[in-house]
Amino acid sequence: MNDRVLRAALVALSLAGAAVSAYVLYARWADAGLLCSTGGCETVQSSEYSQLLGVPVAALGLVGYLVIGALATARDPRARTAVAALALAAVGFGGYLLVVQLTVIDAVCDWCLASDAISSLIAVVALARLLRPDGWWLTA
Amino acid sequence: MPPARRHEPSRLTSRPLLAALAGAVVVAVALVAASLIGSSTGKSEATPPPVSAAPAVRDEIFRGVPQNGITLGSPKAPVTLVEYADLQCPYCADWARDALPTIVQEYVRTGRVRLVFRGLSFIGEQSDTALRAALAAGEQDRLWDVLHGLFLHQGAENSGWVTDSLLRSFGGTGLDSERMLDSTHSSWVEGQLLAARNAATAIGVPGTPYFQAGPTGGALEHLNVGALDADAFRRELDRLLAV
Repeated sequence: MNDRVLRAALVALSLAGAAVSAYVLYARWADAGLLCSTGGCETVQSSEYSQLLGVPVAALGLVGYLVIGALATARDPRARTAVAALALAAVGFGGYLLVVQLTVIDAVCDWCLASDAISSLIAVVALARLLRPDGWWLTA
Repeated sequence: MPPARRHEPSRLTSRPLLAALAGAVVVAVALVAASLIGSSTGKSEATPPPVSAAPAVRDEIFRGVPQNGITLGSPKAPVTLVEYADLQCPYCADWARDALPTIVQEYVRTGRVRLVFRGLSFIGEQSDTALRAALAAGEQDRLWDVLHGLFLHQGAENSGWVTDSLLRSFGGTGLDSERMLDSTHSSWVEGQLLAARNAATAIGVPGTPYFQAGPTGGALEHLNVGALDADAFRRELDRLLAV
């Protein structure tokens, strides 16, 4: 699988993540209900953990996904490393928020789970790019 | 001896990987730390534990019902119900808990009744703090959400239960809680406080909760309901709607 395919996959996944974040952000600002199978989305969305120093976590997610998507279009090795770093950070922070949902808020949000899944896939693809046997230094 | 180029990748592979891992750890730790700082700042001020459950309850009651300043419901509703309340008054909290959800569901959501809140603060300092926050939420057309949240979490009189942490927990779903906290002394809030005080004085409100109702835009009468349950209000509202 060449690097172009992996980059296209990263862009597609980032756009999917950005769409999820944008939807949650829209629901927050427009006071619209979230589609939710767990019944816990509003509780999570209204909790103090849904913001980070006053900034909605969904807004950070939106920006993060867009940055990852933009970086994924570049073939620069530093961009490749940055994508992996951001994706792994997103997985780590998503894991922390999942623990908070389960143990503190006592409610789980579908959209957070969707974002966790997407960021995990991005991390897998980003790591695959870093660890490819032919290496970026040979093919870029 | 293998060519040098075959060795170079394995050495270089670890370098970007380590850089990515290091970057990820730094970013993730910063995010988690910011989240923990935000939540511990809130929790440092004795907040009743179930705050996280309250917004969902409020959302259910008021979602999709139009709010404008101190009013809830359609401005075209034929009947207006005015509530005079102090946010530390226990009977006001009973009414908010026991009757209000039914009234909103059956009369306000259906466009038949419009609610108006007139807040008073005679029980103490915390009444004023809570009322100002609710009115500040009214500037964002979210007064009823905060009002209901405060009634659900009402603590003992002037015990310090109206904390910034509790008020912040009402943020989200259309309410900027920081803006609410910043505008508790805005000219709009001061105007509403004065208007409610003047109106209460003019009609001689003896205590809270006190209710008036009548045709929207017309003369309002004191509702002498006798009980604070939904049935008592149903009877009175149905009577007024039938006129």
